[in-house]
Amino acid sequence: MKFMFQQAFRSGKFVTGFSIFMAILLVVLIYPLIIKDPPLTIIGRGTFFEPGIYVNVYDSLGSPQYTLNLKGADARRVASRLNDDDRAAMQEWLVAAGVPEAEIDTADTPLLLELWFKTYDPTLSVPGMTNARRNYFIRLNNSLQGLLDPNDAILAARDEEGALQQVGTIAQTDFVNVGQVPNVRLLPLGTDNFGRDVLTELVAATRVSLQIGFVAGFIATLIGLVIGLISGYIGGIVDDSLMFITNLFTVIPSFVLLILISFSIGQDKRGAFTVAAVIGFTSWVWTARAVRSQVISLRNRDHVNLSRLSGHSLFSIILRDILPYIASYVVMALILQISAGILAEAGLSILGLGPRTTEVPTLGLMMNWAMIYQAHILGKWWAFFPVILVIALIAFSMNLMNTGLDQVFNPALRD
Amino acid sequence: MMRNKFIGLVGLLVILSLTLGACGAPATTTDAGAPQAVEEATQAPAEEAAAPAQEAAAPADANTLPRDETLYFNGQQWGSVVGWNPYSSSNNNAMAISQGDNARVIMFETPYLYNMLDGQVYPLLADGDYTWNDAGTELTFKLKSAAKWSDGTPVTAEDVAYTWATHVKYNTPIGAANVDYIEDIVAVDPQTVVVKAKLDDAGKAVNPLLVAAYVSSNYVMQKAWTETLEARVGDDATAFLADPAEDVVYSGPYAKYFADDSKVVYVRNDNYWGQGPSMWGKLPAPKYLAHVIFKDNAAGTTALQAGEVDVSQQFNSNVQDLWLKDNLPISTYLPEAPYGIGASLPTAWYNLNSPGLDQVAMRKAIAIAVDYPTIIANAMTNQSATFTQVPRSLMNPTEGEQAMFDHAAVADLQWAGNDVEGAKKLLDDAGIVDSDGDGWREYNGKKLSYVATCPNGWSDWQAAIEVVAAAGKEIGIDITTNFPEWSVYQTVVTKSDTPLPEGYDIFMMGSNGAGPTQPWGRARQMMSSEFIGMPSNWNGNFGGYTNPEADALIQAIPAETDPAKLKEMYTELVKIYLTDVPSFTLMYRPQSFHTVNESVWTNFPHEGDGTNPPVPPLNLTDGWSIAGLYNLTLVNP
Repeated sequence: MKFMFQQAFRSGKFVTGFSIFMAILLVVLIYPLIIKDPPLTIIGRGTFFEPGIYVNVYDSLGSPQYTLNLKGADARRVASRLNDDDRAAMQEWLVAAGVPEAEIDTADTPLLLELWFKTYDPTLSVPGMTNARRNYFIRLNNSLQGLLDPNDAILAARDEEGALQQVGTIAQTDFVNVGQVPNVRLLPLGTDNFGRDVLTELVAATRVSLQIGFVAGFIATLIGLVIGLISGYIGGIVDDSLMFITNLFTVIPSFVLLILISFSIGQDKRGAFTVAAVIGFTSWVWTARAVRSQVISLRNRDHVNLSRLSGHSLFSIILRDILPYIASYVVMALILQISAGILAEAGLSILGLGPRTTEVPTLGLMMNWAMIYQAHILGKWWAFFPVILVIALIAFSMNLMNTGLDQVFNPALRD
Repeated sequence: MMRNKFIGLVGLLVILSLTLGACGAPATTTDAGAPQAVEEATQAPAEEAAAPAQEAAAPADANTLPRDETLYFNGQQWGSVVGWNPYSSSNNNAMAISQGDNARVIMFETPYLYNMLDGQVYPLLADGDYTWNDAGTELTFKLKSAAKWSDGTPVTAEDVAYTWATHVKYNTPIGAANVDYIEDIVAVDPQTVVVKAKLDDAGKAVNPLLVAAYVSSNYVMQKAWTETLEARVGDDATAFLADPAEDVVYSGPYAKYFADDSKVVYVRNDNYWGQGPSMWGKLPAPKYLAHVIFKDNAAGTTALQAGEVDVSQQFNSNVQDLWLKDNLPISTYLPEAPYGIGASLPTAWYNLNSPGLDQVAMRKAIAIAVDYPTIIANAMTNQSATFTQVPRSLMNPTEGEQAMFDHAAVADLQWAGNDVEGAKKLLDDAGIVDSDGDGWREYNGKKLSYVATCPNGWSDWQAAIEVVAAAGKEIGIDITTNFPEWSVYQTVVTKSDTPLPEGYDIFMMGSNGAGPTQPWGRARQMMSSEFIGMPSNWNGNFGGYTNPEADALIQAIPAETDPAKLKEMYTELVKIYLTDVPSFTLMYRPQSFHTVNESVWTNFPHEGDGTNPPVPPLNLTDGWSIAGLYNLTLVNP
């Protein structure tokens, strides 16, 4: 056994796959110890907040303030609200409103703004201008208000009569240190359509998906192994009838079967582990067939015949004389079954046939909701791309491990 | 070798499941308003290039419509058109045949057009306003002498009368819905129609509101064509309703040009009677109206972004990104949130037979604890007015309905949500407390646990229901969610002659939108006990609420004509509704979503567009909104 492990770890492919898988597993185990928020809590009012550091505005007003005189700060402030396209659009509007083109200098912001505020009239109907364009100019006009105002922003509070009283000012050079603001939330992957933290959800979902994969993989491998061993070793009518069932399952595409069963179970009864079990019960076929053929080649070997002559029981022969010879193979099959189970759950959930939504997140459900809320069309990559990446990494690492093991244990492939 | 083969096969399986997964775009849509939207899921893909086989049989240029003469739609037609029979309700022909409060009038026409923005009706086939006789039992209107059928014959009072007679004879849904309120429709002379109301024992009209609504909700069909159809099917009612009616005679400005499983196209009738001075004075601007049949909402949105759709009747989540982020020439009726005019009130209903939910305190506690701002911001992506902007009542956010009740009188009863402390106090005061210390409250010694439910795939509703469930946990009531398929859900919820089964403690249904009988119809839907005991109840009061006081008011309102008295009665109804909380509204939803792309066409209806009467944002096809079709101009003429 020890030798087998040593052998396996000599394969570069296996080690790479194993490291990726362990890294994922470690993150899944450690992350919840650090970030203790329940993964399905709705924290964002609004959908698909972009990834970033969210600093509480209210708290930052009360945090210690520092003055930093940064070069180009004003230019950046202006650029954030008035880009080149906006300038060109302003020129277009001004020309349409009758301002001679020579008078407009889009590079000179103060001059441009002065001209704009002097001329712009939201009610003026420019021929050929669409409503969408009109709305754009109204928005632009609003965002330009006070853009070049050098004065401090004023903080005010209501006094006893309800009138506003100035209580402080904020200069354009005032900064806070993020570390000193009491409420800062890092959302490395933003929020999803429910306003949930995608990273926290993703970690929890990976954990559940791995569990589903393991359960499905174990069930599938166990069924396949038992059927393969019995039918291969006993042979005869037992073999024929077991293979009849197996062949039946072979011709029905297992994913179709999976869809049908999941649909008929009904959403109310589809917990994560029901789905795992369904996946397991529909994907054992190939394991069974492969194990059977291996067993057939083993059953007339000398040591098996010896055991049989010595009066060992059927159970004992299968367990001691056959199973150890195909153990390495079964482990490889198990790895593939686990990875297939995770993929099957994702596939099912994308079709809306996965586990019910509220209780646990899964990778497939995250994809499903991202698609329903059109994240892929609106370019909200953080809601679905990390999920795809995790699924790909899991499948990749497991397949690498499998190939690595194959190279070690398959005499035909051994160097 | 076997090992390699096995690996290859498993690999194949993996690829298969990946491919299946990738092809399987969500088999659901986000349009919770339209049941057919859910059933459409598995239609064939509908890109422009699809179905070349059928093209051969169709007019030569059906696939190459001139872009500057065609107005493209999405979100109305899912799946291919079955028929053109205006008596039938199973044509799957949403663009041409859709009767109701805001009837779609591109092909068939109603005597009057309802305008949801000002609550008025405007004559279409009819000439001038309708009048009631002094006793309030007969409604009379005249038909325009210019109104003509597509075969050139005039539209007569006899047609109107025969249409009604046919609805009754074949017991169509329209006949069945109105037969209790309309005694008969008769033609006095070729231009004059009298609608006789059904009378109660006291000799008064049973429901004058519904009688008046008939003339703006239902099409007029040609008598001669109807008789042809009857002769063809030999008076067999089933065959009559199943006939695809390709030969139908119509009075509207558009008719069938082309239809297959990839799209449906309507072409303008250049002899349309309405171009005369008695109606519009010109023809509608687009020569063709086309609706590509998209696979799902995502495909429809992509086409809208690409400028292949001009008018979108789809829930596009985060619609503002289309112009803010993508800089597309796309706009909605209002430039800022909520982007549209809310008309209906998607509502969570309590099953009043569930243990504990018969208690007002319990119902109110759950309702006031719900985080409505999150529902509106997340589930509806802000495409709904908030309950701070439009405080809850039985009325939708339109000005007309908001003016129907006394806001100050009910202000104390309204809630904006997130009131967890208030909810806890209500429950504590009612003695519904956690006595065994497990974190959940008990009622009659049993832990309170409810299931909140809505149809699967109706994503904005599902997201809303999740938020409701979260509120329960805040106040010590265990609420879980469940999303059955619509086919199951609808039969359970509409079966009002037996108690609702387990798992339907809190459930969502939509409400009436804007229409000539509102807000009375909605008040009736929310509270009237007349629907209890119906084996198939699509009308309302799904939770089994009974209040004789409310019933009496609902009964009395249709006959009341004094506006002051009406306001008083509506205020009373709102008070009862907000006190008893038989259900609670989760959001406001537009009558139809109306997002336009101005790449080709412009001058779509928008707030402050200067139209008088104002053109409502109903896709330029429904009720008075068809007036918008006459205002369209090309961006680059």
